Amino acid sequence: MSIMDHNGGSVIAMAGKDCVAIASDLRLGAGAQTIAMNFEKVFPVTDRLYMGLPGLATDVITLREKFRYLTNMFHIKESRPLQPSTFAHLLSSTLYERRFGPYFCEPVLAGLELTPSGTYQPYIAGTDLIGCLNFAKDFIVAGTASDKLFGVAEGLWEPDLGPEDLFETISQTLLNSVDRDAYSGWGAIVHVITADKVVTRTLKGRMD
Amino acid sequence: MFLTRSEYDRGVNTFSPEGRLFQVEYAIEAIKLGSTTVGIRTPTGVVLGVEKRVQSPLLEASSIEKIMEIDTHLGCAMSGLTADARTMVDHARVTSQNHAFTYDERIKVESVTQAVCDLALRFGESVHDEDAMMSRPFGVALLIAGIDELGPQLYHTDPSGTFVRYDAKAIGSGSEAAQSELQDKWHKQMTIPEAQKQVLRVLKQVMEEKLDQHNVQLAQVTVDKGFEILDEKTLKEIIDDM
Amino acid sequence: MPDMSVLAGPQQHQFNPYAENGGTILAIAGADFTVVAGDTRQSEGYSIQTRYAPKVFRLTDRAVLAVNGFAADGNMFVKKVKQRLEWYRHAHAKDMPLRAIARLIQTMLYAQRFFPYYVYNILGGIEEDGSGAVYSFDPVGSYEREACRAAGAAQSLVQPFLDNQIYFKNQTAAPGQSHPTHLPLSDVLSIVIDSFTSATERHIEVGDGLEIYIVLAKGRSLQGVEGLRGLREMSSREDGERVFVLQRELKKD
Repeated sequence: MSIMDHNGGSVIAMAGKDCVAIASDLRLGAGAQTIAMNFEKVFPVTDRLYMGLPGLATDVITLREKFRYLTNMFHIKESRPLQPSTFAHLLSSTLYERRFGPYFCEPVLAGLELTPSGTYQPYIAGTDLIGCLNFAKDFIVAGTASDKLFGVAEGLWEPDLGPEDLFETISQTLLNSVDRDAYSGWGAIVHVITADKVVTRTLKGRMD
Repeated sequence: MFLTRSEYDRGVNTFSPEGRLFQVEYAIEAIKLGSTTVGIRTPTGVVLGVEKRVQSPLLEASSIEKIMEIDTHLGCAMSGLTADARTMVDHARVTSQNHAFTYDERIKVESVTQAVCDLALRFGESVHDEDAMMSRPFGVALLIAGIDELGPQLYHTDPSGTFVRYDAKAIGSGSEAAQSELQDKWHKQMTIPEAQKQVLRVLKQVMEEKLDQHNVQLAQVTVDKGFEILDEKTLKEIIDDM
Repeated sequence: MPDMSVLAGPQQHQFNPYAENGGTILAIAGADFTVVAGDTRQSEGYSIQTRYAPKVFRLTDRAVLAVNGFAADGNMFVKKVKQRLEWYRHAHAKDMPLRAIARLIQTMLYAQRFFPYYVYNILGGIEEDGSGAVYSFDPVGSYEREACRAAGAAQSLVQPFLDNQIYFKNQTAAPGQSHPTHLPLSDVLSIVIDSFTSATERHIEVGDGLEIYIVLAKGRSLQGVEGLRGLREMSSREDGERVFVLQRELKKD
C-alpha cells in the first residue's frame, strides 16, 4: 500500500456557472483502522479560494500551515488580493522544491478569479504531489477514491450548473464515490463559493 | 422358452442367433415372482402401493422396505430382487443430489429414470485390468413416481433398461389381474384419496392374505408435500374407510 | 567475444499463464427485461490488440453471459458453458433455466479452484418467473443475484455511478413518495450508454465499440426503443423470451 493511502481521504472540486464547489470526506485512518471522523481536508486560502489536501495526514497539516504562512506573507508584502491562478503557481513551485522528497499530498484548488472587467470567473485546479498543475474546465478529483470520483463525476457533471445544482452534483458524486471506498467516507463537508458568499454544509453519509 | 435352452443362456453379453439376450429375459421373468406393486398417477400426485409378504408371524413387518425415497420430489416402489434395487436407488439418489448441486433445481422424473436405466445394461462390462461392476442383469423392476415442471408422473423400468410412462401400472406376481383392474378403474380426474383406495383395492384383489396395515405399504408424491410414506395409523384409517 | 559472465550465476525463468486484457462489462435487471453490455476493446498493457473482441455472448433465448478479464480464459469458458448447455438440452429436453446456468457456472469455476479461469462473469437474463435477473461471479465461483453490477477495468468508475442511478443510493425520495425498484428500458439504456462513455473518457482500456444485449421476458415489447439505431434481433423464436443486441461506437483514442 502506498504512503498516499495510509490515512485515506478524498477531495473533489467542481466548476459551475459563476460558482465553484469543493468537498472532502471526514475520515482519518491508519491503514484499515479509522482514527477520527472529523478530519476536514479543505481549508480556506482567501475569501474566494479554498484548497483541498488529501494524502498523508501529517503533510496535510504541514502544508496547510505552510500555505497559511505563505499567503499571509503575500498579503503583507504585496498588499493586494491573492488570485487563485497566482496561488496555483505558488503551490506548484512550493511542491516542486521537494521534487526528490515530496509531500505526500495531491492538492485541489477551487476559487473565483477576478477578471479585468471586475467579474468573478470560476477557477479550479489540481496538482500531483510534486506540483504538476492540471487546469480542468469541469472537475478535479484526488485521494483514495479518485477512480470512483472520476467515474461518477463524468456521469453526473454538466456545464453551467447554478450554486444549488452544483452543490447537489458534487455532494452526490462524493457520497456515492466514498461509499465504494474503504479508505474514505464517514461524512463529508462541502463548500460552495459564489462571488458574495461561501456556503458550507456538513453532510451525513454512511457511517460504515 | 425353457425348452430352447442353449449355450446362449449363459453369456450375459452374447446375443442368441434369434437376436435375444436370454439372461435379460429371465431377469424380466424374475420380476413376475415378486410381490405385487401398484402405482397410480392423478393430476395432483402419484400414489404407490406394495404388498409386503409377511411369511412368518415372527417377522417384523415394518422391516420390509419396498418403497424408498429418492429425493423430496421423487419416490420409487419395487418388485423382484429387492436387494438389487438398493444399487439402483443409490444411483438415483446420487444423480438427483448431483443435479441439485450442479443446477440448483430439482431433477426431472424422466431424467432420474433415464439415469437408473443407464445402469441396467452395465452388467458384464469391464475396463481393461478392472473388475466388472456387475456380473448379471438387475432382477428388479421399479415404479418411479415424482413431480416436476411437467406435473406428476409415473415411470416403469425393467431389467432391460427400458422405461415407459404410465397413468397406472402394476408389476409383480399379481400384475396381470391388477393391470386389467387398473385399466377399468383409472380415470383422469382421480383425487389422491381415490387413488389411495384404488391402489389398496387392487392389492386386496391379488393378495392371498387378508389386507391390513401391516402387510401393505402406501406412499405418495404430492404437489403440496412431496414424497411421503404413509404411517400405519394413516394407512389403517384409509383401509377402514375403503 | 560476448560477455558470458552473466551466465555464471543462477538464472530464473518464470512463465506467467495469465494476462489482463482490459475492458469493462455491466448488467442491469429490469422488472421484465435485462440489459447486459460490454465494450469491445481488447488490450494488453498499452497496446490495443483489437478494437472488436466481443465480451458478451448469447447463451440461450433467455440468458446472456458477459466475461471480462483474461480473454483466452474467457473465450474458453464461454465455449465450455455453451457445451454444457447443449448437453443439458440433450439430457433433459429443455433449455437450462437462468438460475441453473448460474449454479452451473459456479461449479465450473470452482472446479478450477487451484488454477482458476482469470475472469469475472456477469450473467443476465430472464428467470423462470419472468423477472429480469443479473448474477455476478468472482473468478472462483462465488456468486450472487443482484439488480445491477459492473466488472472489469472500469468497475470502480461505473459501479458507484450505478449505485446512485439504479439503487438511488444517497438520494431521498420526496415526502410520501418512494424510489422505483425497477426502471423502464429506455432509462436503463441511457444509463448504460452514459456509463460507457464516462468510462471511455477516463479509462484507457475502455473504448472502441459498445455491445448492449437486451433480453425481454415472454410477451413483452421493446417498450418504445424498437426504432433505435443499430438494434438487431437475435432470438431463435418469436413466442418466447427475445434477445436483441444494440451496437454503438465509443471513442477510439
